[in-house]
Amino acid sequence: MSSIISLTPASARRKRARRIVSIFLKNPLLLVGSLVLLVWLLVLFLAPNLATHDILQQNVSVRLQPPSGEHLWGTDELGRDIYSRVLYGARITLPAGIIVIVIGSIIGTVIGAVAGFYGGLLDELLMRLTELFMAFPTIILAMAITAALGPDIRNAIIALVVVWWPSYARLVRGLVLKVKRAEYVEAAQCLGARRSYILWRTVLPNCLGPTIVLTTLDIGSAILTFAGLSFLGLGPEPTSPEWGRMVAVGIDYFDQWWTWLFAGAATASVVLAFNFIGDSLRDLFNPELR
Amino acid sequence: MPIYLFIFRRILFTIPLLLGITVVAFILANAVPADPINANLPSNQLNNPELVEAFRREWGLDKPPVEQYLTYLGNLLQGNLGRSIRSRQPIAEDIGRFLPATIELSTVATILGVTFGVSFGVISAVWKNTPVDFLVRTLGLIGISVPLFVLALVGLTVFHAELGWVAGPGRLSVRLSPPPNVTGMYLIDSLLAGQWNVFQDALSRLILPSMVLALYITGMISRITRSSMLDVLRADYIRTARSKGLRERFVVLRHGLSNAMIPIVTAIGLSYGVLLAGAVLTESIFAWPGIGRYMFSASTGQDFPAIMGVSILIAFIYVVVNLVVDVLYYFLDPRVRAA
Repeated sequence: MSSIISLTPASARRKRARRIVSIFLKNPLLLVGSLVLLVWLLVLFLAPNLATHDILQQNVSVRLQPPSGEHLWGTDELGRDIYSRVLYGARITLPAGIIVIVIGSIIGTVIGAVAGFYGGLLDELLMRLTELFMAFPTIILAMAITAALGPDIRNAIIALVVVWWPSYARLVRGLVLKVKRAEYVEAAQCLGARRSYILWRTVLPNCLGPTIVLTTLDIGSAILTFAGLSFLGLGPEPTSPEWGRMVAVGIDYFDQWWTWLFAGAATASVVLAFNFIGDSLRDLFNPELR
Repeated sequence: MPIYLFIFRRILFTIPLLLGITVVAFILANAVPADPINANLPSNQLNNPELVEAFRREWGLDKPPVEQYLTYLGNLLQGNLGRSIRSRQPIAEDIGRFLPATIELSTVATILGVTFGVSFGVISAVWKNTPVDFLVRTLGLIGISVPLFVLALVGLTVFHAELGWVAGPGRLSVRLSPPPNVTGMYLIDSLLAGQWNVFQDALSRLILPSMVLALYITGMISRITRSSMLDVLRADYIRTARSKGLRERFVVLRHGLSNAMIPIVTAIGLSYGVLLAGAVLTESIFAWPGIGRYMFSASTGQDFPAIMGVSILIAFIYVVVNLVVDVLYYFLDPRVRAA
């Protein structure tokens, strides 16, 4: 093995790097999306260095100030610095959306794979359960769950996972049904591989492509729904600089546009970035659609 | 298969689903550690053993959970969803009062969203990879990416506060009294009563929230229409139609769009669910007294009977809309008819 790697010339590696660069250059949306996301990841890690004020420090004497040199993006209804709060918000909203989709897609994938691979009564049962959860519009079920568990960030994430796994179960089941009939699966069976080995090692890895595309497209909507929940007061606690929560101030102060616009634009830019990336990945996987 | 048999079979399939929905709602409402009697009865009634006993009997609270569920289901079938903790009114009555506002809003939003979405999608597919296509696709992405609550606030700031083109939040100006109640939808009721000024005011307040909702639907539908149209326009029968010398418009709309309709209709059905959910956000910003706002105050106020009632109602509506979509397949796709 090592001899093969050492035989790979530097020129081949450079060629591959150039191919990746050209993929980005041919897909401006992918490029823009990745750059925006990169910026937000940097903000997420560097928030304490970039922030100019304490995000919890209230100062009523400077409440609702428009953007200025002292407060770059103005202050909110309690005199807190909006610029610093939006930066710190990246540490809540972004990871929350990603966690929801990672956990939801893993649960959904396992359920869908088992249902599609083993079939029969188990399949029937799991799929009816999946349909049941899909019958509720996302935010309604999520609201009911957070109301039952009590509003906080962990419960909002749990609620969204409950809402999100079914679409993965459905997708993966369909893919498994298709892949199950492939010749290489038959080959594995002939070689005497165990059923569980075939499912997890042969079938499932061949279903991951479309699943990953759906994941990128979904992180955007998970972030939207999470921000929506916390906009409604069903997410993180009131003092937290969550973006949806910050926009909610705008209901009472919508003519003081800076109180809600920056947090709203932050949410929109992250969601757009994920949708740009997801769309481009989908096109790359299905060249026909272009 | 004749149409009535098709519909009958579909309805039969949804019954277990509807039952499942009530089970989920029941489990959710009972997962709360709170004592249902304390949670449901106002404090002045708690001291009255007769009232407590009556409540216990009505909902079968002294029986095991399975029987409690069956009691709930029995009450539900008679249209009794219990009483809201907050409004103290029967939930079915509350819903009856709030639902028309939401239906009015979402119907207008759906009509706008579907009209724009389908047209943009077709335009985008026909002129694919041109600047027009790029513009439509970017707009579509923005439509599904910008949070509804941000769009709503931007709309209010620009079109209400700055330009003054539309009226502010609320369903009707405080100066006016609602039209006589027939359907509960102000646009229709005011026309029926011939109150032109009420109609104008209601319309000017409906435009903004429905446009906000419609933008999201437009984004969703135009994306699906585009990809479905692109699939269809590559088909052999389109080439045949063109080589027969048919006019391009005829080819695109008759041979193209009507064959691309199935995924689009599915998306319209799904978008109705998105709308009902989006209504929660839009209605809380526009002070729109609809079912979304009712759900919002119920879930922040831990009003579990109301949460349960609204969740069941909305899930039911969603299931029925998808049933209608299934029936539409019957008309759109000859293969479904043959099966």
